[in-house]
Amino acid sequence: MDILPQLILNSLIAGSIYAILALGFNLIFSTVNFFDLSYGAVAVIGAYAVFYFSKLLGWPLFVAVPLGVLISGTIGFLLYTSVYRRLRMRRSSNTVLLVASLGVLTALQALLAIFFSSQFQTLSATSSGERLFSLFSGSITETQVIILLTAVAVLLGLAFVLKLTLFGKAVKAVGDDEEVAKIVGINTDKIIGKVFFIGSAIAGLAAILVGFDTGIEPIMGLPLLLKGVIASIVGGIGNVYGGVAGAFLLGFVENFGIWKISGEWKDAIAFAVLILFLVFRPQGIFKK
Amino acid sequence: MPIIETKHLYKHFDGVRAVDHLSVAFEKGQITSVVGPNGSGKSTLVNLLTGMIPVDGGEIVVAGSVRFTKIKSHEVKDYGITRTFQDVRLFEQMPVLDNVLVVLTERGVFASLFEKHSPYHLEKAEEVLRRVGLWGKRHELALGLSYGQRKLLEIARVLATDADTILLDEPFAGLFPEMLKVVVDICKELKVKGKTLILIEHNMDLIRELSDHIYVLDAGKLLAEGKPQSVLARRDVIEAYLGE
Repeated sequence: MDILPQLILNSLIAGSIYAILALGFNLIFSTVNFFDLSYGAVAVIGAYAVFYFSKLLGWPLFVAVPLGVLISGTIGFLLYTSVYRRLRMRRSSNTVLLVASLGVLTALQALLAIFFSSQFQTLSATSSGERLFSLFSGSITETQVIILLTAVAVLLGLAFVLKLTLFGKAVKAVGDDEEVAKIVGINTDKIIGKVFFIGSAIAGLAAILVGFDTGIEPIMGLPLLLKGVIASIVGGIGNVYGGVAGAFLLGFVENFGIWKISGEWKDAIAFAVLILFLVFRPQGIFKK
Repeated sequence: MPIIETKHLYKHFDGVRAVDHLSVAFEKGQITSVVGPNGSGKSTLVNLLTGMIPVDGGEIVVAGSVRFTKIKSHEVKDYGITRTFQDVRLFEQMPVLDNVLVVLTERGVFASLFEKHSPYHLEKAEEVLRRVGLWGKRHELALGLSYGQRKLLEIARVLATDADTILLDEPFAGLFPEMLKVVVDICKELKVKGKTLILIEHNMDLIRELSDHIYVLDAGKLLAEGKPQSVLARRDVIEAYLGE
């Protein structure tokens, strides 16, 4: 097996996961303009919901996976209505919202550990391994093929909603100027609620895919969040599509970066990319 | 009959009375101007009337029957009220056409996720953009427009709402003569259509030309009111507040 095709495939797979995470994160950020750190925990809840329904209750995956996505979306929506909306109505600063979302992230991760233990779990259906496909002299698992296809589907679906629908225009208007959006009759509260639902559902989908590919643990929310954030900043924070470019750049740099060195350097490389962008191109690849 | 009234409306910022127990009435189908020196409370009044800042005291009465001590910005449109801003505020990242279309959007909970604009929406958007001369720029981002064009787009957005009561915060400031004429003509057309206009403006010639009634504010209080010719002729108003 050649190493180069495999590195490219690995980069594409990692980039796809980061892209899905960045799409949801940037959708929320571009609308409310604050860093929702609880995004990572909301994602993991979806993965644990799938674990609960499929592994513990034995429900089929075609039921468990959509339910997991819906639960992530609903938790994100409820967090907005119960925490962030109240803080925003009191005109709390973004720092307050950031700290509140950090608290939510920590609390949700702790709850997951209490209910499901801190042990590493896997969502894969079979213990005997997955089907492997050969592609351009590299190999790719069935789950990884699904990850690639899901990233494309989420990107196209979100692009359709944002570019072509009335809802998409309202989302853009709220992100541009929330006060003016209110004046022209947009119920910004409802729009933001829907954005939190959609963004969180996308996050849940990403964590579920990671769960099938590698596995899940309660504390995986933070690394997932950070990869989504790095991809978003590198691509252009607040630019929904820029985040996708940032995600694939990050995927490639990470995987090619550890070609000759230990895989433990992966996160260090990701943060080095982030710092380089913050210093030399803070607006990211694309502006908002 | 007044379309909007304020009764003892009160707003303070850190102890400063921006609007101080103000009672004014804006008659339906008329152009009423609110004038006064900077800091007299004109823009605060507009912000209170459109729910952009909370009322500290008093009430706002719409159409003689709906009484507010608290009004939500997104509900203002439902009462047939809209506004422009002193420092023009557009949806900067959106094309000119979308800045108008977003006003016309109906927003059902799930339907809007899949719904696109109807031919009616597009025709209406074309009509208002042609009226202000921006149809040719419909695909450009609002961000790239000149100051005058930005003001015109804000006026187009107002026209698209088809609101009955329109609050215009310094609509003529900084416009070239040809653009000024477009906005003045639109104000006259809106009056003919029976719309109520509330003008915050410093251009006294235009206030004389357009207004049916004016209010002069000072330090959040009502200083004078009446027909523009008589009020603006008062020496105390001219010397103290209009700087003419």
